[in-house]
Amino acid sequence: MEKILDKKRIDDWIAALNDWEVHAPALEDGIWTYKPVSGAARLDHPNTRQSPKGFTFPQREVYFSFEQIKGEPPKLTQILPKETRHVVFGVRPCDGKGVPRMDKVFTDHVEDTYYTTRRKNVAYVGLACNKPPSATCFCLSVGGSPVSTDGLDVQLTDLGDRYFVKAVTETGKALMKAAGSLLTEPAAADQKQVKQVHTEAVAYPQRKINDPDGAPAKLKVSFNSPLWDEMARACIGCGICTFLCPTCHCFDINDEVHSKAPLQGQRVRTWDNCQFPDFTMHSSGHNPRENTGARLRQRVNHKFQYFHENFGMHQCTGCGRCVSECPVGIDIVAVVNKVTENVG
Amino acid sequence: MSDNIYLPKLGRVAFIKDEVVGERAIKTFRVEAADGGDLFEHECGQCAMLSIFGRGESMISIASSPLIKEYKQFSIMRVGRVSTAFHDLAVGDVIGIRGPYGNNFPIDDWRGKNLYFIGGGCGLAPIWPLITTAVAQRADFKNITVFYGGRTSRDIMYRAELEKLRESVDVHLSIDKAEEGWDGYCGFVPAAVMDKDPVPDNSVAITCGPPIMIKFVIQNLNQLGFADDQIYTTIENKMKCGLGKCGRCNVGKDYVCVKGPVYSWAVLKNLPEEY
Amino acid sequence: MINIQDIRDTARDMLAKGEVRTVIGYRRGSRGMPAEPAFITSPEQADELIWDPTCYHNLSLYLVHDQKILAHLRKASGSPIAIVAKGCDARSIVVLLQEHYFKREDVYIIGVSCEGTGVLDERKLASQLNGVQPTLAAFDGDDYVFTTAEGEKRLPAREVMADRCLECRIPFPKEHNVVFGEDKTGRQLAEPFAALTRFEAQGTGERWDIWSHHFDRCMRCFACRSVCPMCYCDECVVDSITFPVTQQTSAAEKADRVRWIERSAMRSENITYLLTRAMHLAGRCTDCGECERACPVNIPIRMLNNKMEREAREKFGYEPGASIGGSSLVASFLDNDPGDFIR
Repeated sequence: MEKILDKKRIDDWIAALNDWEVHAPALEDGIWTYKPVSGAARLDHPNTRQSPKGFTFPQREVYFSFEQIKGEPPKLTQILPKETRHVVFGVRPCDGKGVPRMDKVFTDHVEDTYYTTRRKNVAYVGLACNKPPSATCFCLSVGGSPVSTDGLDVQLTDLGDRYFVKAVTETGKALMKAAGSLLTEPAAADQKQVKQVHTEAVAYPQRKINDPDGAPAKLKVSFNSPLWDEMARACIGCGICTFLCPTCHCFDINDEVHSKAPLQGQRVRTWDNCQFPDFTMHSSGHNPRENTGARLRQRVNHKFQYFHENFGMHQCTGCGRCVSECPVGIDIVAVVNKVTENVG
Repeated sequence: MSDNIYLPKLGRVAFIKDEVVGERAIKTFRVEAADGGDLFEHECGQCAMLSIFGRGESMISIASSPLIKEYKQFSIMRVGRVSTAFHDLAVGDVIGIRGPYGNNFPIDDWRGKNLYFIGGGCGLAPIWPLITTAVAQRADFKNITVFYGGRTSRDIMYRAELEKLRESVDVHLSIDKAEEGWDGYCGFVPAAVMDKDPVPDNSVAITCGPPIMIKFVIQNLNQLGFADDQIYTTIENKMKCGLGKCGRCNVGKDYVCVKGPVYSWAVLKNLPEEY
Repeated sequence: MINIQDIRDTARDMLAKGEVRTVIGYRRGSRGMPAEPAFITSPEQADELIWDPTCYHNLSLYLVHDQKILAHLRKASGSPIAIVAKGCDARSIVVLLQEHYFKREDVYIIGVSCEGTGVLDERKLASQLNGVQPTLAAFDGDDYVFTTAEGEKRLPAREVMADRCLECRIPFPKEHNVVFGEDKTGRQLAEPFAALTRFEAQGTGERWDIWSHHFDRCMRCFACRSVCPMCYCDECVVDSITFPVTQQTSAAEKADRVRWIERSAMRSENITYLLTRAMHLAGRCTDCGECERACPVNIPIRMLNNKMEREAREKFGYEPGASIGGSSLVASFLDNDPGDFIR
C-alpha cells in the first residue's frame, strides 16, 4: 500500500488513531525525545537522543511483587505490562533495524514474556533519512540504509510539502486505513520523486567501516590485540554508549524491598551496562573483564563478532549515538577500523 | 503462569547440613516443591537459579543426581549477599527456584569407559550428580576413581558420602598440608592425581574446582596422554537471567548459562579466557 | 595566544629526558572536533598534541585513574605524569593534593591559560550554525574560528562559550610547573552563579517542579560521576557498582553492605544519587563543568554544584582549590564561626 499524505494533515492522521497511544519526537531540554502526542507532531528531528528501544525494553520492568508474613510462605504476584497499543512516529531506519535485533535476543531459545507483550503492542512509523541526520551516521556500513524499512510498520518519506506513505506490514496497512481519505493515491510524479529521493539518500556520503564483512573474523583473531587497552585508555566507564544504543539489551535483576515486616517488594529488571566495572564481577571479587580495554572489546565484539556469529548480522545499526555522545571521544567506527586494519 | 521465564517456583527447604564451617563455610540444602510434586527434571551438570525474596537470585549447580526426583540438592559456599542469606535459612523456609539451566555432561557417551573425577574445594558439588549417577549405574562403567582435595581436613565436603563411596569406587582424598591423623595424600590435587597415574585409554576425566587447580589438573592430564576431548570441566560466570538474555556471562559468542557450564577442554581451550 | 608548538616541545623534551612517564594532553578526535584525551608516551608522539576550544576534558581524572590502576597492580608510581591543565583543571589537582590523593612530585603541571575565552559549548554552537557541521575549531583572540564544509566560520567566543567559562573568574592555572598563555585573572564575562541566581528567583513550587522533571529524566548512566575527578571514592555510597570487592573481602562485609539506593532510575533514587553527589562535592568542585557537559539528557547538574560552591564562598569565604597548603572546606573552621559546636 502506497499513499500520499499532505504534511499539514499528519495531525489529523494521529487524531484518527484513537485506538493507539501515539508518540513522536519532541524537542525538550535541548534534546529530541519520544513524547506522547495528541495533536501536533513535528517530524523535523535529526534523531532522538535515546533510541526507541524503551517501548519494548523499558529501563525498569517489574517482574512480580512478593509478599511474606513471617512464618508463612511468600506470595508472588506476576506483573505483566499493560496491553496499551503504542504507535511511534518518526523512527529513523537505524532504529528500525534495531527492532528485529532486539526480537532475536528476546525470543531466541526462550521467549521473554515482558518483551513480547510490549512488542506485539507497538507499531513503528518510520521516517526515511533523505540525508544523514548526524555527522556520526554509518548505517550503510552495517547492512543498513537510510531508506531501510526493516523493523518498521510504515515508512514515511519526506517529499517537501507531503509524505510518501508506504505500508511495510499488515499492522502498517491498518494504521493507514485508519487515516481514511487523508491518504491519497500517489501520482506518477510522486513515485518518481520518491525513487529520486531514495537514490540520493543512499548516495550521500557517510562515515565508513572499512571492512564490515570481514570484521567478525578479523575481530576474532584480534582478541588479544594491545589496541584494546590503548583505545579504551580514556574510557570513564559510564553507561552512555549502552543506554542510548538501540540494540544494547543487557540487564540486571534485583529485589527492591519496600517493607521489611511484613516483607513486601518487587523483583525488577533494570538496564545494565557492560562498561560498568562490576558488570561481570563474581561474588568472590574475581572479574573476568577487569579493565576498560576488556570491557570496550566486549561491547565492540558483541556488536560486530558475537552477534554476527549467532544471528548472521551485525548487531550495530550505525545510528552513531555512542560516537556522538561519548564524553571522551571513543568512536566505534574508528575502533573497528583500527583493530581490524592489517589483520589478514 | 508457567510460560513466564522469570517467575520462580516455590521450593521448601527440607534439609540443611553444615559441610564446612568457618570463613569459607559450605552448607548443603535439599529443596522440594513447596506445593508437593516435583520441581523439574534435570541432567547432570545443570544449574538452577535460587532466590531468597528480598535478597535476590543466585545461580547454583544442582548437586543431586537426576535419578532423585523428590528433591534437588545444592551445596552453597558463603561468599556474598545471597549466599549469606542462604546460610541463614532454617528447615521449612520457602525459597524461589527456577531452572534447570545450561547444558549437561554427556554421560550416555561415557558408558563402558573409565571415569576419573577430580574435584577441589566446593568444586565437588557440580560433579557430584555425575558421580552419584555413575555409582547408581555402576555396571555401565568400568573403573571409577574420585580424587578430591580440600585446603585442610575441615574443608572436605560430603565427607560421610565419600567414605560410603569407597564401597564401589576408588576414592583418593587429599589436603594441601600434612595434618595429624590424616592418612590420605598431602599436597595439591594436581599432584595427587599424578601420584595415582590415571590411564587415558578408554577414559574420561572430569574436573571442577578453583581455576588454578583446573589449570594444573589439565596440564597434568595432557602429560599423562589424555586428549583434550577426554577432559571435561565446568566454568562459572556472573549470571542474572540464566536464559542468554541479560548479556553478562558470555565467553566469546556463547552464554555460559545456555551453552555451558560443561565444556570439554577441546572446546574450552579455544575460547577467550573470560571466566 | 598560546603557541601549541611550545606545549609539544615541552612534552617532547620531558619524554626524551625520561623526566615523565606519560604526558596527558589533548589530540584531534577521530572526527576532527571535539578533541579527545591523549596519552603520550614517546617523544615522537608529542606533535599529536593540540590546544583548541574543544579541549573540554578535565584531564586530572586520569591522574586518579592512574593511582587506581597502580593500586590494583600493587605498583609504585615511578616517574611523574605531566598533564595539560586549564585553570579549573589545575584547581582540581590542588584539591586532590589537599586530600593527599597523590603527591605534588607525582605530577608535572603544564598549565594553559584560557586567557580571554574558554571552551566551546557545542549545544550553543549547533543553534548558531543551523545544521552546518564544523570539523575543526580554533582560538583566535576573543573569537573562535570553525572549519566547515561551507568554509571558515568566525564567531565571537562569548556567544558560544560554555557558561562555566563565561562565569569563570580565574581562567589561569596558578598551580603549575610551566605555564603558557597570559594570566587574565579577574576577567569576568558573565556574573558568577548567573544561572543559579536566575533559578532561585523563582518560587519553591516552581523550583521543585523543574528539578522533579530533571530527577525523573536521569538515566543513572553515571557519566557525571565517572567523568568527575573528585568522584574518586572506591566505594560510592550511592551505588553498588564500584564497591571494591577483592578476594579478601569477607562474605559478611558484602552481605552487610547497606544499599542506599536501588538501581531503578526513579525520582526517589535519582534524587538521592544527584543530591548526595552534590553534597560530597561541596568545597571540592572547581566548576570544570564536565558533569553537565557529559550528561546525555542535559540535566543542569552544574547548578547543584554551584549551589554548594556559593554556600561555601558566602558562608565561609572558601574557594576550592585555591592553594595546596590550604585545608579543605570540611576539615577547617573559622575562629569567628557563629556556631557554638566548636567551643
